[in-house]
Amino acid sequence: MTERRPPAPPGDAPTDAPARATPLFPRWANRAMGVAIAVVFVTVLAGPALLMAWVRTPDLRRQYEPVPQPVPFSHPVHVTGLRLDCRYCHATVERAASAGLPSTATCVPCHNETFMQSAVMAPVRASLATGRPVPWRRVNGVPDFVFFSHAAHVKKGVGCESCHGRVDRMAQVYQAEPLSMGWCLGCHRDPAPHLRPRAEITTMGYVAPDTLGAALMRAYAVRRLTDCTTCHR
Amino acid sequence: MTPPAEAAAVRAAPPERGWPVLRTTAGDAELTDRLLAPIGTTARWWWILFALSGALTLLYVALIGYTVARGIGTWGNDIPVAWAFGIINFVWWIGIGHAGTFISAFLLLLNQKWRASVNRLAEAMTIFALVNAGIFPILHLGRPWFAYWLVPYPSALGVWPNFLSSLPWDVAAVTTYFTVSLVFWYLGLVPDLATARDRLSGTWRRRVYGILALGWRGTATEWRRYHVAYGLLAGLAAPLVVSVHSVVSLDFAIAQLPGWHSTIFPPYFVVGAIYSGLAMVLVLVIPVRHVFGLQDVITERHLQCTAKLLLAMGLMLAYSYGVEQFSAWYSGDVYERYAFLAARPRGPYAWAFWATLALNLVTPQLFWWERWRRSLPALFTAGVLVLVGMWLERFLIIVASLNRDFLPSSWHLYAPTWVDLGILAGSLGLFALLILLFLRFVPLVALSEVKQLRHELARERP
Amino acid sequence: MSDEQRATSDGRRPAEFPPGVARPGPVLSRRDFVRLLGASAALAGVYGCSRRPDELILPYVHQPPELTPGVPQYYATAMTLDGLATGLLVESHDGRPTKVEGNPDHPASLGAAGVHEQASVLQLYDPHRSRHVRHGAQQADWDAVARLLAPVALGQRVGARGEGLRLLLEPTASPLTVALLARVRERWPAAGVHVHAPFAAPDDGDALLPLPDLTRADVVLALDADFLASGPFHLRWAHDWAVRRGAGGGPSRLYVVESGFTPTGATADHRLAVRPGELETVAAALLAGVRAARGVTSAPTAPTTADEATTAWLRAAARDLAAAAGRCVVVAGPRQSATVRLLARALNAELGNEGRTMWYVRSPLLGAGDASVGSLADLAAARDVDTLLVLGGNPVYDAPADVDVAGLLRRVPNTVHLGLYEDETARACAWHVPALHYLERWGDARAYDGTASLVQPLVAPLFGGHCADELLALVAGEATPRAHDLLQTHWRGRAGDRASGFDAFWREALRRGVIADSAAPRAASAPVPAVVPPPAAPPRAAAGTLEVVLAPCPKVHDGRFADNAWLQELPEPMTTLTWGNAAQLSPATAARLGVESGDELALGAGGRTVRVPAIVVPGVADGVAVLHAGYGRDGAEETARGVGVRAQGLFPRAARYALAGVTVARTGAHHELALTQPHWRLHGREPVRVVAPGQPVAREDAAGGTRRRALPLYERQPGAPHQWAMTIDLDRCTGCGACMVACQAENNVPVVGPEGVRDGREMHWLRIDRYYADAATDAAAAAPAGPLSVAQPMLCQHCEDAPCEYVCPVEATVHSSDGLNEMVYNRCVGTRFCSNNCPYKVRRFNWFDYNRDLGDVEALQRNPDVTVRERGVMEKCTFCVQRIREAEIRASVEGRTLGPNEVTTACAQACPTRAIVFGSLTGAGSEVARLREDPRAYAVLDELGTEPRVRYLARVRNANPALAASRAPSASEAAT
Repeated sequence: MTERRPPAPPGDAPTDAPARATPLFPRWANRAMGVAIAVVFVTVLAGPALLMAWVRTPDLRRQYEPVPQPVPFSHPVHVTGLRLDCRYCHATVERAASAGLPSTATCVPCHNETFMQSAVMAPVRASLATGRPVPWRRVNGVPDFVFFSHAAHVKKGVGCESCHGRVDRMAQVYQAEPLSMGWCLGCHRDPAPHLRPRAEITTMGYVAPDTLGAALMRAYAVRRLTDCTTCHR
Repeated sequence: MTPPAEAAAVRAAPPERGWPVLRTTAGDAELTDRLLAPIGTTARWWWILFALSGALTLLYVALIGYTVARGIGTWGNDIPVAWAFGIINFVWWIGIGHAGTFISAFLLLLNQKWRASVNRLAEAMTIFALVNAGIFPILHLGRPWFAYWLVPYPSALGVWPNFLSSLPWDVAAVTTYFTVSLVFWYLGLVPDLATARDRLSGTWRRRVYGILALGWRGTATEWRRYHVAYGLLAGLAAPLVVSVHSVVSLDFAIAQLPGWHSTIFPPYFVVGAIYSGLAMVLVLVIPVRHVFGLQDVITERHLQCTAKLLLAMGLMLAYSYGVEQFSAWYSGDVYERYAFLAARPRGPYAWAFWATLALNLVTPQLFWWERWRRSLPALFTAGVLVLVGMWLERFLIIVASLNRDFLPSSWHLYAPTWVDLGILAGSLGLFALLILLFLRFVPLVALSEVKQLRHELARERP
Repeated sequence: MSDEQRATSDGRRPAEFPPGVARPGPVLSRRDFVRLLGASAALAGVYGCSRRPDELILPYVHQPPELTPGVPQYYATAMTLDGLATGLLVESHDGRPTKVEGNPDHPASLGAAGVHEQASVLQLYDPHRSRHVRHGAQQADWDAVARLLAPVALGQRVGARGEGLRLLLEPTASPLTVALLARVRERWPAAGVHVHAPFAAPDDGDALLPLPDLTRADVVLALDADFLASGPFHLRWAHDWAVRRGAGGGPSRLYVVESGFTPTGATADHRLAVRPGELETVAAALLAGVRAARGVTSAPTAPTTADEATTAWLRAAARDLAAAAGRCVVVAGPRQSATVRLLARALNAELGNEGRTMWYVRSPLLGAGDASVGSLADLAAARDVDTLLVLGGNPVYDAPADVDVAGLLRRVPNTVHLGLYEDETARACAWHVPALHYLERWGDARAYDGTASLVQPLVAPLFGGHCADELLALVAGEATPRAHDLLQTHWRGRAGDRASGFDAFWREALRRGVIADSAAPRAASAPVPAVVPPPAAPPRAAAGTLEVVLAPCPKVHDGRFADNAWLQELPEPMTTLTWGNAAQLSPATAARLGVESGDELALGAGGRTVRVPAIVVPGVADGVAVLHAGYGRDGAEETARGVGVRAQGLFPRAARYALAGVTVARTGAHHELALTQPHWRLHGREPVRVVAPGQPVAREDAAGGTRRRALPLYERQPGAPHQWAMTIDLDRCTGCGACMVACQAENNVPVVGPEGVRDGREMHWLRIDRYYADAATDAAAAAPAGPLSVAQPMLCQHCEDAPCEYVCPVEATVHSSDGLNEMVYNRCVGTRFCSNNCPYKVRRFNWFDYNRDLGDVEALQRNPDVTVRERGVMEKCTFCVQRIREAEIRASVEGRTLGPNEVTTACAQACPTRAIVFGSLTGAGSEVARLREDPRAYAVLDELGTEPRVRYLARVRNANPALAASRAPSASEAAT
C-alpha cells in the first residue's frame, strides 16, 4: 500500500446535520461500550474453561455421595470389627468379572441368632420368606460399553482399596474414586505403584514399599494394557 | 436509471480499454445518499423474495431437526457411498465463500482499483456462504452432538483428536477463515456504519448504527490506523484463501481411494473454489446493480474483469481436469485407470462427468470475445451454469469415486432422498435470506472507498 | 443376477417390518426428543461419564453352586430338521440361550453348525410365536385339549379301535416319539398315522440311506446333489470332503451334474448343467460309460446323449471314475427320481466302492420301509375322520398343489394343530396348541446315521406350550404326561442293563450330547433292483416352455424359518438375494425370454400360475427355472408374511420337485431385488485366485509385472505376546453362509430389512462375496464345465497399516498391540471417513437406531459380552475380541499362558469345512502361522500395502486333463 495518504474524511460528519442538535449517546456510553466488549471477551474465554472444570468435579460422578441401602449394612462392623475377609461375601472376585454380591442365604449362618429379628434385618427376613432378592443399590458403576473384570485386576495384584477406597471406614459405602477414563488410564499406563502382593489384596490401608511395584510387575506378568479393546468391546 | 436508459448507456459506452471504474458525476454528498438509499428499502420484490427464501429457510431448519432426530439414514448415503450431499454441499458452499476474500484481499494488495465497489457485496457473500458451509460437516456426522471431539482440548477422557487425520485441521482451517473474513468485513464496514449513523434518520436506527460504528469519528488518526489494520488483515486473509480449500481438498487427497488419492487436489480445489465464487459474484452483482440503479458505480468494467478472471480460472480448472485424467492413465494402476478412464466417462454417473466438463470448461470460453463479456444476460447465465457445474464436479468427485472402488463386490449405486434435496434447497434459501437482509440493513457498496476512489481518479485525470 | 439394479421398484415389500428392523416410524418420537436433550447435555462434555444413574443389584436369595453370575455355561442338545438331528452345544448367559455351536462329539456336526442351527436361537425369542391354546376363536387351555383327547371321550368319537383317528406327523426319528406312536397304535389299532414334509430325506423303498465316506474318495461325482451345503448330514460330508481335499497326495476331484446352481456345483472342478428331465439319461450314460471303461462286455460301447460336448464330458468323467474304482463315490440328490438314485447305487457297485467309500444305513426315520405309515395324500383322501392331530408341520402351506389339505381340515370335526406359530395350518384347525422350541423342551432324536441324542431344555418355556410327545402320550391314555418323565421312562427301559446304572447313563448322555454306540450298523452293500432303463435320449422340452425346479431355500428351508429375520436377511449363496425368492434363469434363457433380473414372470402349469420376479444366474441349465420354497407365507408370522412368492403352488404330487412344460410370460411388472452384491464381474482384478494342484499363487499381477509392494513408512513397534491373524481357504469354502449367521448371533449384528439391503445398508460384519466368470465375455463360461464361480468370505482384514485408522479424526479406530484393528463405538462420532478409505468396504454404519424397536423378548438373545451399538456409529468385525480378552483373562486367572490355537472366532467355529482358521502367529504350533506360509496363501489387494492380518488360500481347480481344454482355471480369465 504505497503512500496511501488518507484524504480528508470524505462526505460524512457534516457539522450542520440536524442530528447533531441532541447528542446520539450520553457520555457514559463510552465506558459502557468498553465494559460490554470486555464482558463478551471474558465469557467467550471463561465459558468453556468452566465446563472443563466442572466435568472434573466429584459432583459429576456423585463421588463421595453415600448411598443408603435397604439394610443399613455396616462394613466397619464386619470388616474392622469382625475381621471378615471381603471375599466371604464378594465371593467371585477372584474368578469372575463381577465381584458378586452375597445371596441372602449368606447372611443367615451368622445372623440366625443375632439381629435376625431386629427391624433393620426386615428386608433380609422378607427376602428369605418371599424368595425375592434384597434390592441393593449400586455404588460403583461404569457405563455399559466398559467391560471391567475384577478377577483380572485381583490376579494382577490390584487391591480392593485401590478402587473402592477405605470401605472399612465407610458407615455408608460411597464411590471413593472418580472411575473416569482418565483415572483408569492413570493406572493402566503405569501400573507399578498400584500393585501389592496377592496376599494383601483385601488388606485395608496397606502401603507397598517403593521397590515392590517393579518386582510384582515381573512376578505377575503385568503389562501396560492401553489398547482400547482392553475395556471397550 | 431505467433499464432501457442503462442499455443506452452501455451502447454509448466507449470501447472497453477506456471503460472507467466509476462513471458517476455525482459529488460526495449525492453519492453518499444514493448508496445509502437501499437501506430500509421496502420494495415489493424484496418482500416477495424475503417470503420465498424465508420459507426455504424454515424447511432447512425442519429437515436439520429431522435428520438429527432420526439419523443420517434419512439421507441417501450407503456403503460404499458413505459421503454424499452433505459433503458435496459443504465443499460447494465453502468454494463459493472464496471469491469475496479473494476479491477484497488479493485485489487490495494488488492495488486493483476496480475492487472498490464490489468488495462489500462479495465479502458478505463469503460470510453467508461460510455459514452454510459450517452447518454441513456437523450435520453429516452420525452423532453431531459430539462434533466438539474434533477440537483439541484437554478432555477428561484423556484422549485427543487424531492429528494424522485431515478433519481436525479442516475444522481449524474453516473456523479461522470464517473469523478472519468476518473481522475483515466488519472492519471495512466501520466507516460506512458511521456514515449511516450520521446521514440516516430515526434516532433508534441511528443509535444502532452508532453502536456498530464503535464511535468512529473519521479523524485522520483513525483513518491512518484503519488503513494499517485493513492492510494487515488483507495480508492475513490472502494466504487463508489458499490454505482453506487446500486443507479441504486433503479430506479427499489423504485417502487412497481412486479419484481422491491425487496430489493435484489442493491447487485444483482452490482454483475451483475461486471459480465458483466469481460465478456467484456475477449472479449477485448483476441483478443488484440493476435494481438499485448502480450501473455508474458498479460499471461494465467490474463485470468485464470478473468475466476475465472467470475465464482464467476456467482454464486453470481445465488443466487440473487434464492432469487428473493423465496421471490416472500414466500411473498404469488398474484401479486408477478404471476410475478415470472407464467409470467416469462410461459408468453410471457418466452424465455428471460430461455435464461437468460442458458447464465448467465450455461456458467460460465465451469470454474470449468482448461482446459476450459485455452481454449482461450472457454473464448472468454463465454464472448460473458454472455454479451448477461446480456442484456437479463435487458430486462426481465424491459419489462417482466412492460407488466403485477396489472390490467389485462392494460396488453400489447412490440415490439422494427427498431430505437430501430439501436440505440443499434450504441452504440456498438461507443464503438468499441473509443476502436480502444484508441489502436492506448494510451499505452494500463501500461508500468511503468509492468516494476515496472518486477523488483519486479525479486527481489522476484533471 | 444383473448389475447394480436401481430400476424403479413397484415398492412391493412386506406389510410388516421384522423385529429389530429400522422402520420409518414417527417423525419425532419421544426418544428422539430425549436424544436431542441428551445432545445439548452432551455438548457440556458430560457423555459417557454422566451422573451415575440409580441402579439396583439383585443377588440370588440362594446362590446355585454351579452358577457364577456373568459366566456363560454350555449345554449339549440337538436340533432336528426334517426328522434328523444335528448335535449342538448351546451357550447360556445367566439362563438365556444366546449362541448355538456345534457339538464336536456328534457325528452330524463334528463341532460345526449350519445356518439353520445358528439362527434357531433367534426363533426361540421370536415374539410372533403363538402363546395360547386356542379353540375356534376362543382362548382355551391345555386341560381342554386333555379332555378332548381323553381316552373315553376320544373313543366315543373315533370308535373303539380308533377308525376315526388320524395323526399327521413331521418326519421323525425320535426313539421316544416312535415308541409313543407304537403305544398309540396299541390303544387305537385302526388309527391312521401319516408323515409329511416337503423336503424329507427319501429312502429308496428298502429304507436304506447312502452313507458315503468322503474322507477316502479321490473322485466324487454328484448327480444333482448339493451334499456340501444342504441336507441332514451335510455338515459332516462337507467336513469329510474338505479333509480329503486338503490331504496330501493331491486334492480330490469333484464332478457335479445339476440343473440349478448350488454351492456344491460352484465348488466342483467340473460341472455339467442339464435339465432335470435329462438326468436319468445322464446317469444311465455314466453307468454305461463306466462299464465300457472297465471293459464289461455286456455294456454299450459308449454313453450317448443329446449333444457332443455333454457326451465328451460324460465319457471323461466315466473314465476318471473307472480309473479311481474303489477310491471314488457317486452320490445322488434326495429329490431325484428313484431311478437316478438306484443308478447311483449301481454305479457305486460297478465301481467297487461298496464297503470302501460307500456304505448304507437303515433310515432311522419313522415309517421307513413301513407301508402302514401313510402319506399326506392318503390322508387327504381319507373319509369319515373325526379327530386329526397335526403334530407340527404346515401342510396347508406346503402340500403339493393337487392335495387338498384345507378341504380335509374343513371336513374333519376335531382338528388339533401343534406348532410354534398360528400359521396357515393352525388357522385351518379347530384347535391350536403352542409347541415348545427345541431349546425349551425335553426329548430325543437320531441323526442321519442313527446316532441318538437327548434334547434338553436350556430355558423354561417362554410362552408356555407342549411337545408332540406329550400329545401322543395323551392320546395313548396318559392323564398328565410330562416330556421329561416320558423320556426318562423310555430310556430307563433301554439303558437299565448298563452296568453303571441309569443315572450315570443319563448324566453322560446329557453331558456329551450323544448316546454312546447308538449309531445304526453300516451295511457294506445295498441291493440294486432292476432299473427301468431310461430313454436313451431325454424328452425334448416343448418350445417356449421351461422346466421348473423346486428346491428348499438354503435360508428359510420349506418356510418353517420364514419368520427368522437373520435368515431372511442372509444372502442366498449363489445370488446374494435377501428377503424373497426369484426364478433363477441362465443368461441364455433370460435373453431368449427377453427378461432382466427383477422383471416379473408368470409361470403357468396345470391351470396354476405363479408370479415371480426373474433373476439371472450364470450356471443354471438353459431352459430351466429354479424356484426356492418357503416364501409367500400367510400365517401369523409378521416377519414372514408377504415376503417372496409361494412356489409350491405350482407343483403337483406327481412332480413335486421338477415340473416340465411350464409356460412362461412377462407380466410387465418389475421388482427391485434386495441383493447384497449387485455386481459380480471381476473387471480384471484378482481378489480371488485360482491355481492348479500344487501350483503356488502367481506373484505377478494381471499385467505380468511383479506385484508392486508399498513399503511401510514406520517401524512396527514391538507388540503384545500374541499377534492375532486368520486364514481363509477358498478351496474349502463352499459359501454356505454358516459363518455369517454365527457372526450375527455372536456380535449382536442388527437386521435392516429389505429396504435397508436395497439401499446398501446391510450390517453383516462378515459377508460372502460371490464372483462369476462373465458368461458374456468369457466363452469358456458357456462350456460344459460351467462358469467358474468362487465364494470369498470378506471381513475386516485387520490391516497392519490400516487405511481406516489414520483418517479417523477422533481415534475411534486404532491399532492394538496384538494386531487388532480396534473399533471403539463409544468414541465414534460417525464421520464415516474410515469406510470411505477402507479398500475392502467391510465397515458398517448404524444409519438408524437399529436396536430401538428391539422387543424385550428379542433383547434376551443379545450377547452381553458385546456392546449393542447406538445410532450414528461405525462398526465392523472385531476378530471376536470379546472372546480373545475373555480367554486372556481366564488364562491369567488360571496362571498359565494362552496357547496360539486356543481362541477361535464365531465364524471359524461354525465353519463345517474348517476353511477359516484363527489364532495367534506367535507361539509354537500355531496353525495360522503355518497356513500363512502355504504357497497358496495371498493377501487381497496386497499391492495397496495394507498388510492384512487375514490371508486367503487360493482356490484349487483340479481339472481333469481330458476336460481341461474346455476350461482353463484362471481367475483372470474369470475376470475379463
